[in-house]
Amino acid sequence: MILRLAWRSIWRQKRRTLITVVSIGFGLALAVFFIAVAEGAYSQLVEQVVRMQAGHVTIENPAYRDAPAIDLRVDGVGRLRAEIERLDQVESTKLLILGQGVARSGAGAVGVSLMGVEPAGEAKTSPLSRNLVAGQYLAPEDDALVVIGRELAERLKLDLGRKLVLTTNDVSGQLKEELCRVKGVFATGSPEVDGYLVQAPLKFLGRLFGLPPDSATQVGLILKDPADQSRVIKAVRGLTGGRDLAVLPWQEVMPELAAYIRMDRGSNWIMQAILLFLIMFTIFNTILMSVLERSREFAVLLALGTAAGQVRRQIITETIYLGLIGCGAGLLVGGLASGAAQVWGINMSALMPEGVTISGFAVSPVFHAKLTWPILAWSGGLVFGATVLLGLIPTRRAVRVSVVDQLRG
Amino acid sequence: MATIVSLKGVTKDYGRDNVVTRALRGVDLNLGGGEFAAMAGPSGSGKSTLLNIIGGLDRPTEGRVEVDGRSLVDLSGGELSRLRRDRLGFIFQNFNLIPVLTALENAEYVLMLQGQAQAARRERVRAILREVGLEGLENRFPRELSGGQQQRVAIARAIAAEPALVLADEPTANVDSKTGAALLGLMRRLNEEKGVTFFFSTHDPAVMKQARRLIVLRDGRIAGDGPPAAQRIED
Repeated sequence: MILRLAWRSIWRQKRRTLITVVSIGFGLALAVFFIAVAEGAYSQLVEQVVRMQAGHVTIENPAYRDAPAIDLRVDGVGRLRAEIERLDQVESTKLLILGQGVARSGAGAVGVSLMGVEPAGEAKTSPLSRNLVAGQYLAPEDDALVVIGRELAERLKLDLGRKLVLTTNDVSGQLKEELCRVKGVFATGSPEVDGYLVQAPLKFLGRLFGLPPDSATQVGLILKDPADQSRVIKAVRGLTGGRDLAVLPWQEVMPELAAYIRMDRGSNWIMQAILLFLIMFTIFNTILMSVLERSREFAVLLALGTAAGQVRRQIITETIYLGLIGCGAGLLVGGLASGAAQVWGINMSALMPEGVTISGFAVSPVFHAKLTWPILAWSGGLVFGATVLLGLIPTRRAVRVSVVDQLRG
Repeated sequence: MATIVSLKGVTKDYGRDNVVTRALRGVDLNLGGGEFAAMAGPSGSGKSTLLNIIGGLDRPTEGRVEVDGRSLVDLSGGELSRLRRDRLGFIFQNFNLIPVLTALENAEYVLMLQGQAQAARRERVRAILREVGLEGLENRFPRELSGGQQQRVAIARAIAAEPALVLADEPTANVDSKTGAALLGLMRRLNEEKGVTFFFSTHDPAVMKQARRLIVLRDGRIAGDGPPAAQRIED
């Protein structure tokens, strides 16, 4: 009967109950939606960056991270990647040669980052291939051809097919130069990428840097599911156990990106918590009002012999009902909105025509939410728990009423 | 006739520090099982205070109170709750039904507190509601009942658990005289036929006349105790 009593009690003030339920639901739906959209953006960002750079997991010389230099390389990469590609969780592997140099044209010279890639695989996965604004992406048969960013092209006044000279120090420290031509121009929206990155075929840069065959500065692993990262790292460390190699998660390879995501995720949760905290005041007020205006009724229940604990249970049950309805509605609405944003995405290009960059990395202006069970469980659980906890405070007042005074009134 | 209520030197003070109001002044009283006793007296004479103390809703400042053989001053809050639930019935002036429960659910509330199975308590309560003249109105909510009907539900609730004593604080004060007379007739019939012990306060001379014993309170003291015809009431 306590359940029935509690259920009917919450509906005796329908409008107030609806306002409470809508407050809980609205707050929770907003929290779920914004967290899911943020998680989607992080996921997109990470996918885009790791596919363009050194993968979800990177194998490199243990000394490279502290002092990146072209001679700190990984040898025997052919056999190594063949072994790694046997792992179920690995979608593909990629070889990279990363170094620094100077790009020079008739119009001037710019210090650039040189990235040697395997065009066949990169064309399918790299965001650069999808962001070409002129020309074509690199092909497997290409040699002295490069793709460059639009800003770099503008600074060096380079058009498609025009020549530029790349100058660098090779592994033995000798100054080396190679002539190449612009095959494509990309625009990602990121000043760092568009202004300073030169991508070229791996074999071309290998020759420029004087690297021996079957070597690279990094072996990158693209995973089918990024959640498998730690399992793959463990497996790869097992495979490379006899060799002096570092197997690193992308978070260590790109710590600034990992830190940005951590900080942004933290501030997002704090914002949602503040929003919910404000909503909780409304809920607390509602529950308190509902208890105070029924002081006489609680006095009657106590007079009839109802134990204080049973009165408390009744009020907590009412709060649980409010929490369940509110959280149920919030999770449903938030889940549906996030699901829609996951499938169709939210196109921000109209609001940000200049492109979207996060932490210096360009990302697609179409954000796809990423709704996960932990988001639903955590946000729903926190709001429900907070609602029930808030209900405990008025409960104490209900059983402390003066039965005699209330009945006299 | 076993003693249900025994009061010895009961005093009750309200207020604190220098402003103290003495509501009861050394009241001695015994009530036996099966009695149909009324209590009368002017406003502020201590009637409600006495009922509250007997019902374990309030504690005396001094004196001994025994109900159904148990000393109330020695009982904890939880024990008092259980005593009220199992051995006492209450009828209030304002009916005080639970607005979100139907007549049937209100009447069975105490039986539910006692943990009785739903089927058994429903059967029992339906019979009681029939007895108090509410057959066919079991599923109505209090707002759908007249004042007299609501007080009948309150009476059904008070007697459903077969208490040793039913305490009623001015049970006819909020109904018209005809309904009041009918309610009192019902209580008296329950007393005669079922042996339910009633102790109620009233202002109404017509109600007092129906009691078999009338206790008159004045200034917190018992000023008279005996058959109604022998008492002199001052308002």
